[in-house]
Amino acid sequence: MLRRIKSKLNLFTVTSIIAGLLIIIPLLNIFVELTAPASDAWIHIRTYLLGRYLRNTFVLIFYVSILSASLGFFAAYVITRYEFKGRKLLSWMLILPLAVPSYIMAYVYGDMTSYSGTVSRFFRSIGYDGYINVMTMQGAVIIFTLTLYPYVYMMVRSALQKQSASFIESARLLGASKWKVFWRVVLPLARPALVAGTLLVVLETLNDYGLVEYFNVQVFSFAIFNAWFSFGDVISAIRLSAILMLIVFGIVFLERAIRGRRRYNLHSKTRPVERVELKNSQKIYPVLLWMVLAFGFVIPVLQLLWFTRFANNTLFNIEMMYLIVNSISIAVFATFIIVVIAIMLANFNRGRASSFKKSWLKITNLGYAIPGAVLAIAVHMFFIDLDHMFYPLYRFVNPETGRLVLSLSLSMLVFAYVLRFMAIGYNSIEASYDKIGESFTEAAYALKSSKIKTLWTIDLPLIKTGLLSAAIIVFIDIIKELPLTLILRPTNYNTMATIVHEYASDEMLIEASIPALVLIAVASLMIYILTHAKQKRGAANVRKN
Amino acid sequence: MYVKIESLQFGYVKDEQVINDVSLSMKEGEIVAILGSSGSGKSTLLRILSGLEMPNKGEIVINEETLCATQVYIEAEKREVGMVFQDYALFPHMNVEKNIAFGLSRLPKSCRKARVKEMLELVSMEEKIDAYPHELSGGQQQRIALARALAPKPSILLLDEPFSNLDTDLKLKIRQELKMIIKKTHMTSIFVTHDYEDAHDIADRIIYLENGRIVDEIVMEHNQQNTQ
Ligand SMILES: Nc1ncnc2c1ncn2[C@@H]1O[C@H](COP(=O)(O)OP(=O)(O)OP(=O)(O)O)[C@@H](O)[C@H]1O
Ligand SMILES: [Mg+2]
Repeated sequence: MLRRIKSKLNLFTVTSIIAGLLIIIPLLNIFVELTAPASDAWIHIRTYLLGRYLRNTFVLIFYVSILSASLGFFAAYVITRYEFKGRKLLSWMLILPLAVPSYIMAYVYGDMTSYSGTVSRFFRSIGYDGYINVMTMQGAVIIFTLTLYPYVYMMVRSALQKQSASFIESARLLGASKWKVFWRVVLPLARPALVAGTLLVVLETLNDYGLVEYFNVQVFSFAIFNAWFSFGDVISAIRLSAILMLIVFGIVFLERAIRGRRRYNLHSKTRPVERVELKNSQKIYPVLLWMVLAFGFVIPVLQLLWFTRFANNTLFNIEMMYLIVNSISIAVFATFIIVVIAIMLANFNRGRASSFKKSWLKITNLGYAIPGAVLAIAVHMFFIDLDHMFYPLYRFVNPETGRLVLSLSLSMLVFAYVLRFMAIGYNSIEASYDKIGESFTEAAYALKSSKIKTLWTIDLPLIKTGLLSAAIIVFIDIIKELPLTLILRPTNYNTMATIVHEYASDEMLIEASIPALVLIAVASLMIYILTHAKQKRGAANVRKN
Repeated sequence: MYVKIESLQFGYVKDEQVINDVSLSMKEGEIVAILGSSGSGKSTLLRILSGLEMPNKGEIVINEETLCATQVYIEAEKREVGMVFQDYALFPHMNVEKNIAFGLSRLPKSCRKARVKEMLELVSMEEKIDAYPHELSGGQQQRIALARALAPKPSILLLDEPFSNLDTDLKLKIRQELKMIIKKTHMTSIFVTHDYEDAHDIADRIIYLENGRIVDEIVMEHNQQNTQ
């Protein structure tokens, strides 16, 4: 028995177990705290506000998911099934809106449509006295759609590229019209990708705090922040978090249940579907996509560039440089940790499958499903507990120490980043491991190469591209991250995201424009690298055994 | 003649002939095997017959219906052509019943169930009616693909390398089964293979294709006699 346990205890397993525990404990904490007696604020919230929060949250995610699923699918379909000028360019540029955080787009469009904004001034200059108000639920839906549809687009595009032409051809030969082929074959086969992409969009929408705060759209993350910081009531914040988590898990399990026994990727020799030229009326499709790109990327960037004209030189100073370096380095640091742990987890996942492994990995990847506001509360409470536990130790090292050490340090924020974005890193790395199969690793073990040596000399070089894309996606997410950073940063510590938020909340968009542009530029550059770093040799040619 | 194919010409790109002046006639119920090396144009020929590719020149008439001529071109979805793909192409998100019923939308609802049952009996797979494709073995998938292609009563059945995904033991058994099923339904069929044994066992006639041209033709009398 002991020997069996010992043979299974290796670096990969131990890391995975610890990683799982580190996410379970803080989250369980939330549910334990639910037993605390209700506060007056809670009674007020439950009686007067909860209904509105629930309704707004459902309305928001309902429309955002429908619109981004349709837009993402449409874009992916046009790019993979039609041939036209500029297709290749559009194919990667359609991902660019992901570089613009929803809150920055909200500030920009909010300002553009305000009384003194670009749009309103343009309207007045042509003698039209109208006024568009984007700071509404509808505006929020549109901005979330514009910034988040790329998740659906990327996933569906890859699914459509993998779809074998023989499915469509068989359907046609069985007499199905184009319409029927689309609805009964093409769309259902892309469904898992469509659902997975839409789920990401929903999770990101529930996570957002910057946009809903600025537009005053009272959804759950807004409510949690509000309870915590306006009412100063952690107990209510925890109760709201628990409800939000139940909603999220409900959505995730619903999709699992619907899928049932069906499978979508039957082993099939994939002959990709050939692209066809656009027919007359279809020529509008690329135009529509360019318009999406204009509203989702070009216009906000141009407006921000315009703002910088008014920024005086003092704004781009040493302090700003320091801030930029600061937020990039913390993102790089957290990304590094995530990639290292994700490699351990992916290795833990290899070899013989067991249901324990499966469920444990699901747990370690829970973080992404948990909205930032909830995770922030969980991590905050967890770190305060840790500080209480370690207090004797602190005293021993430094008798003058205060009670709180870890929870005042940057480590709390890094910890939260790692929890939240682990799933993204892990899934991407796991997918590349899946592609290379196990035969190389097994061959190396057979040659008496140690686990670590094999990892370093065989596995990692083979999954290099997968590692790069995992790192890039995680990095982009971290530099954009707002709610976790706002709550968990040490006092006076700022990232580009928080400083943009700070200025924008004070209607100081000119001051916000430089860090916002730097943030978008860094993220865009990363997207460019991600979409152009195609594997040339090596890993690309290796097939699963 | 039941099938008349007259001087077909086709190329995927300009100035390259993949199918070069192919003519072929078939009697009703005849089974023709097309043999040829890789790249000789076998799959392409089937794709033209099914309407998935449009020939540059030539005529196709099946059962007195002109499918393709200078002024006529009937789209794949309007032709009554059954085809079994090399990878079977069973829809993975539909169970066996839905797969077979997919081509039966012109039938009234009440007849569909009966037809599905009839087809499953034909390929002896009645008990798998609710299974999903990933729950079937390679040989079973092939039989379902065959049932699906035959269900709408096509005027001709095309099979592209029907045995290439099967291992040798299974292949012998399936070859006999396939022959029996086709003979039982009296279906006019063309199947592509690069294995002489397959052709020898099943076909009434073998046609050799090379560089898009028919270069030889052998009548297999032993097969013809035991059916007529
Ligand atoms: N979609 C396509 N576009 C361009 N050329 C093609 C396409 N499909 C096939 N070809 C070319 O047409 C020729 C005939 O191909 P085809 O698939 O018909 O051969 P085949 O006899 O079926 O070969 P195999 O036994 O390998 O299946 C080959 O040279 C091939 O490269
Ligand atoms: Mg072929």
